[in-house]
Formats: sequence, structure tokens, C-alpha cells
Amino acid sequence: MDQPRLGGKVNRRRFLKTAAGTTAGAALTAWSLKRPAPARAAVRSDRARAAEPNPKRGGVLKWAGPAEVAHFDVHQGAFRFVLGQMHNNLVRFNPADGLKTIIPDLAESWKVSSDGNTYTFKLRDGVKFHDGTPFSSADVVATFSRIIFPPAGMASIYKDQFAAVDKVEAIDRLHVRFVLKEPRPYFLELFTPSSMIIYSKKALDENNQDLRKVIAPGTGAFMFKERKVAEKWVMVRNPNYWDPEIPYLDGIELLHIPAWTDRGTAVLTGQADYSPNVSLETHQEGLKRKDIVGTVRYPGEFNSYQVHINNERKPFNDPRVRRAINLAVSRQNLIKAFGTQEPIMLTRWMTHASEFATPMKELEGLPGYRADKTADIAEAKKLMAAAGVADGIKNVDFVSASVAPHAEILAPAFQEELRRTLGIETKIRVMERALLIEELKKGTFDLMVQTEYRSPILDPGPGWEMCLKTGGSLNFSRYSNPEFDRLLKQINSETNKGKRKQLFAQGMALLDQTAPLYLIGFTDHLPMWRNIVKGHNSEARVFSELGRVDTVWLDR
Amino acid sequence: MRKYLAQRLLIAIPTILGVTLLIFIAMRVLPGDPLSAISGEGGGTYVLSQEQLRAARASLGLDRPYVVQYLDWVRDVLRGDLGKSFWRGEPIRELILRRAPITGQIALMAVILSWVIGLPVGVIGALWRNSWTDYVFRLVVTLFMAIPSFWVALMIVLSLVLTLTWRPPLTIAYLWDDPLRNLQITAGPALALGVALAAMMARITRSSVLEVLGEDYVRTARAKGLRERIVVWRHALVNAMLPILTVTGTALGALLGGSVAVERAFGVPGLGLALVFAVAERDWMLIQNLVLLYGVVFVLINLVVDVSYGWVDPRIRYQ
Repeated sequence: MDQPRLGGKVNRRRFLKTAAGTTAGAALTAWSLKRPAPARAAVRSDRARAAEPNPKRGGVLKWAGPAEVAHFDVHQGAFRFVLGQMHNNLVRFNPADGLKTIIPDLAESWKVSSDGNTYTFKLRDGVKFHDGTPFSSADVVATFSRIIFPPAGMASIYKDQFAAVDKVEAIDRLHVRFVLKEPRPYFLELFTPSSMIIYSKKALDENNQDLRKVIAPGTGAFMFKERKVAEKWVMVRNPNYWDPEIPYLDGIELLHIPAWTDRGTAVLTGQADYSPNVSLETHQEGLKRKDIVGTVRYPGEFNSYQVHINNERKPFNDPRVRRAINLAVSRQNLIKAFGTQEPIMLTRWMTHASEFATPMKELEGLPGYRADKTADIAEAKKLMAAAGVADGIKNVDFVSASVAPHAEILAPAFQEELRRTLGIETKIRVMERALLIEELKKGTFDLMVQTEYRSPILDPGPGWEMCLKTGGSLNFSRYSNPEFDRLLKQINSETNKGKRKQLFAQGMALLDQTAPLYLIGFTDHLPMWRNIVKGHNSEARVFSELGRVDTVWLDR
Repeated sequence: MRKYLAQRLLIAIPTILGVTLLIFIAMRVLPGDPLSAISGEGGGTYVLSQEQLRAARASLGLDRPYVVQYLDWVRDVLRGDLGKSFWRGEPIRELILRRAPITGQIALMAVILSWVIGLPVGVIGALWRNSWTDYVFRLVVTLFMAIPSFWVALMIVLSLVLTLTWRPPLTIAYLWDDPLRNLQITAGPALALGVALAAMMARITRSSVLEVLGEDYVRTARAKGLRERIVVWRHALVNAMLPILTVTGTALGALLGGSVAVERAFGVPGLGLALVFAVAERDWMLIQNLVLLYGVVFVLINLVVDVSYGWVDPRIRYQ
């Protein structure tokens, strides 16, 4: 094939043609650079992307939810869903596949040593914080050192999750190593929640390791623009975001709407585009109005409703009494009674979204979980008799928060179940929610309705460490069982998934028998969105994550 | 009059000081601690070590003796510094400036509405007493006095959402910034509060006017041949205004404190809701300052009501 001829004599006509072409080309290039390129259709499995092809760019998403924060330090307990929008993690769950796999975020890749004790992360190069500070391994080390080995005066609320970490060290500018005392099969997952954001070392140093009063710059897809206290946060697209493909939105407005019903009506009436959790009645209304809104149930939140049983007080220090309560009280009745408030699912010691959870069909046939209580109540009465309380128990102190769903629904329903089935007479003591912490810490209660049996991640391992292990930070029932502690140590260091599943099954059987507390069930979230909101992939989610919205786009 | 006003204002000082002392002591005596709420937002149930608690307490100035805390607070208030919310870190002055206009506007609109509806209904009921009109009015008045305002509020919101797929805006818009949006926010709560207050106002107006209609000066006015309209509106109603003014003052004070249930039903970010959250979060500084504000408002409204008696009733003179 003939090669095109290059060079040649330049005459006036040819010069003008070339100049005009070049000018037009330059103008076109400038125009196309100024104008955001249409989003690519292809979905990269290693980057966060919208699941739909050809996402549109532009627009501002109005998000309705709890957007108020007490302070700005996420690692000291500030509300992460708002602040997390401005930051990145090391890794995250993939929104495009319904949060099934872990994909890179600020860590480009990672390696796990053969003994499972060392995690080495290779970090992305060229990333900058919103104030222009370059991101490096020093930021990761500073962030996690502060969480795991907090300085004096810092309330590191995620410290317990990383108890297995021996040290965090920078290998070079772009490599970080976490060395564990013993392997943790869920270790990588610990970095996925929106609380595990990376702060800059510079911001931490400048503020004496305390970010409660500072909105620290992140590396995230959105940058802080404005905050109207108790009203809304306004964030704008980060034009220098390290991933040029996202975010698709120009900005987000996070509206502080604390009441579930208000969030639902806000979406239904178009005042908000998306809410991660609305009330049951507005969710039901949304199901009737599919022409304007979409709504599903996010299966498996990480929080639950439970009744703490004080394991140190008589006669509840006898596992037979606790087991009797677990057998006799109908979970189905409690869930039904609470049905107007929030969807609680029948669950056994872990969120139903976990791969280690007992399948629903099997669970519905198990003693204590089945709907037909005849045999369970008979067995419970035998256990009560064996424990020397065949005639029931009088004057049981039953504490409940003063909020209506607890004090007016769950506590009275549980009280009636106890009285009817086992002759346990309780006196409900209602108190404000802020005061419950003191009761929990002092252990000055027999029973208490609460929502603190939970897990930080989908894997139940760290949740069990905090809520059920002897001395665990959230072990408010004061359960102490050396056999369980040994089994938990095995569960949390076993890296083989099949073996782990067996161990979890053993653990649940042991918990059924020794009944540290009465778990009513884990909850579902009820998101709702206007039909124009795409890219959140809510229908495909395998668990509930109120995380970032950087893959959301508006089909306007 | 000036002397009277000065006396009343002087008397108000110990009253307000009493309010500050009472609320300060109440907050320290009642169980609960702002730290439990501040240290973790997950229901406040992250267990902190004693050392962490000490540090957090010191950072909020709660480790100082109570006397020092009280005197510092009073000194700051006198200088116009209301401090910061323990929970949100927001200057309380800004919070009040942001929320008070909406709450104040709703309260004023509710009071105006209650007069517009309540006064004519009360007067008509008194003039045509024991007629069918009076029976119907009394029935409606009793009904609206019995129905809680928050229920009316919920019904308004629900019917708007279900029939028109519309609800009042959930974010603040001030009258001077965006009048239309502002009215969309305030009209509903004002209506819900106003109809209940109108019922009360109608009842009081009816009984007051009835009482006045039997007075000698009304008989004299009629004997002079004055038209009934002038007798009623100029002679009877004006003299029946004292109890109406008293109720109006009290109601206005209460509404400025915020009608929490109605604010919650409409999602209006007013002062009442702020106080409720502050109590739940044990935000002592915010509670102290809001209660102090309500104290001052009540004292001033009472003063205005007392002064207005002299304006309405020439027999009353202040010396």
C-alpha cells in the first residue's frame, strides 16, 4: 500500500487550508476538553463505576438522611456517612456488583503473606488531598496508627476491631504494611466501611491528632463547600479526582432529615432524590408509586434489636433460665408487634446477610426460632424448674429507652411474652436513651431492650469479639464463657472458609444453649429514590451499606 | 408609666436570675451527662476509659467547680456570648438567630389566625347564645380544643402527600429571602396551631362578651340608641378584651417556646425541636441558654400584656 506523501511544497492555498484545519481542530479539542466527556460505557471491575451503561454527567443529588454530626472526627465517632463522601478508603465494596467483591480504592493492589499475618498495600500514585497535599504511605500509617494505638485523650472507637494488629509501617512512599499478631480472615473487609477513611498526616499533625473541630480535607470524589448546621451539607465535584471517570454528579446536597417519615415524604414529593432509609409506611406508599420512585429492602443491616440479660445477676446467671427465655418468647410475635416501625428479620446471632448465617428455611424449624412454640415452652418450663424457678420470677427490673418504639412496643410485648409463657413478672423502667450507657456500664439492670448487639462489618467475627467475648467492649450482657472464647479465637484465626463456616455453626449452637442475651433480630433498611437516580444499584445489594454516592448519576 | 416600666424591669432581674439558677442546678442534679452522647453517635454506647472521659470532660470545661461554671456562664451571657452547643459545637447565638425567626413567625401567624377566627366566632356565639348557630359553633370549638394540634398537623401533611404528592419544604427559607417558600413552610404549622388556639380564643371571647353584655354601660349605650354593631364592637368587645389579651400573651409565649409536636410533624427546624434534642443529648449549655431565652421572652410578653391593659381599658392606670 502506498504511503501518504509527507512534506511537499507549501503554497498559499495549502497554507490557508492547513491553518483553517488546525484552528478548527484546536477549537474542537479545546471545546471537548472544556466540556466533560461522556462517561464510558465499559464497567471496570477494579474501579467503582455505575452498573448501567452510558451514565450521564451533571446534576446535583439531594440525599435525605441523618446528616448532622457532633464533630468532624470520624475515627472518634462522628457520623461517617456524611463525612465519608469527601474521603477514600484503602479498599471498598464494589457498587456495580451489589457489594459482593472488594475492589481497590486508594490501595491499587494488595498482597497477603502465606501465613495471613502480613498485608502489604500498594498505594495509588498521584493522588492529592483537596488542599493539594500529595497522598502517600505516611498518611495511611498516621491514620491507622491513631486508630489502633490512639494518643492520650483520643476516643478511638474502632480500636477494638484492629486488636490483632501488631504494627503499621511504611515500606516506601507507596507501600504500607500491616503486621498482625495472628491472622484475621476478615482483615481486608475491616477497611471497607465508610468509617475507614484516610486522613492526611498533615491535617492530623496540624491539629494535634484531634480532628473533632476541623473538616479535614479528603482525597474523595466530592469536596466540602458549605454546611448549614442541622440543615444540610453541600459538596461539589472534585475536579482533580484521581479517578477521572467519577463522580458523574456535579455535586451533592445532604439534607439533614432525622425522621424516617419525613425522608420518605421528601422523596415521594421530589424534595429529595434519594434516601437510604425511610419509614415503613412511606416505603409501602413508594411501592404503589413505581412511576415516580423506586424502593427495595436492603437485606441485612449490621444493627439488631435485642434484650440484654444481665448474666451476673441471679437467677439470670444460670444459663438454663436464659435458655428458657430464648425458647419461650416468640420472636415472630415481637417482629410482628414491631412491624409498623422497622423491618426486623428472624436471625440467629448474626446478620442474615452473612454467608455464615443459618438459612431461613432451616432457622424456621429450630427450637426457639420456630413459630410453633408448644414444644419450646414445654422445654423452657422444664429448664426453669431445673434452675429452681418453676413458679416464675418476680420483680425483674426491665429497662427501656424512653423512645416510643422501645418503651411502647418492644418492652411491653416482651414483658407480656415473659409473663404469659414463664410467669416472669417484670417492671419496666423507662429512661432517656442518653442515660442508658451508665446503666449498661454499671450493669444495674436485669433486662434491657437495646440496639447495641451489632457488627462493624458483614463478617460476624469482629462483632462477636465486641459483643460476646469475655470483657468485649459491647458485651453489655456480661456473658463470659471460656468455651465460647476458645471457639471464637479459633473462628477468628481460621482462614479456610469451609472450616470457618463449621466453626460458626458450632458457635451458634453453643450460643443457643448458653443464651447470652435474647436476640430479637437484625434489621433491614428501606431505601427510596426518584426514578431518575441511577448508579446506586440498590436492587442488587447483598447487604445494607449507607456509603458513598460517587457512582450515582441522574437520568435527566 | 416610665417609673412603672422601670420597676417591672427591675423586678424582672431577680426573676431571670432565678431562672438561670434553677436551670443550672436542674441540669447538674438530674441524671445524665453530655459526654455519653458526645463520645459516640451510635446511641452513645461506646465505652470510654476513665482517662478518656476525664479528658473529654475537661475539653468541655465540665471539670471546673459548679460555682465557677455558673458564674462564667452568667458573665458570658451578660457579654452577649451564649457559648457553644456541646453536641454540635455550633455557637448558640447563631442557632437561635437561625431558628427563632421561623418559630416566631409561626407563633405570630397562629395568634393572628386565632384572633381572625376566634373573635368573630366568640362574639357571634355570645350575641346569638343558645341558638342553632351557637350550638354548632360550640360543638366545633369543643372539637378543635379536644383534637391535639400535632394530629391536625399530621393530617395536613398526610393529605398533602397522598392527594397532591406535595409536602411543605423541609429546609429553612426566611420571609425576607423567599416569601413564597417561607409561607409554604410556615402556613401549615400556623394553621395547625392556630385552629386550636382559635377554639380557645372563641370560648373565652364568648364568655367575656356575655359577661360584658349585661353591664350597665352596654345598657346605657343601647338606651342612647346606638346601633347594635357599635354597641358590640366598640363597647362590649373592647371591655371584654382583658382576658383575651392575657390568654394571647400566654399562648404567644408558649408558642415562641415552640410547639414541638407540630414542628416535628411538619419537619420544621424550630426552637422547640432544638430544645427537645438538647434535652435528649444532655446538651447542658444549649438547654441553659434556651430556657433563659424563654424566661426572658415570657417576662417581656407579660410586661407588654400588662401595659396593654391600660391601653384597652382606660380605668386602668399605672403609677
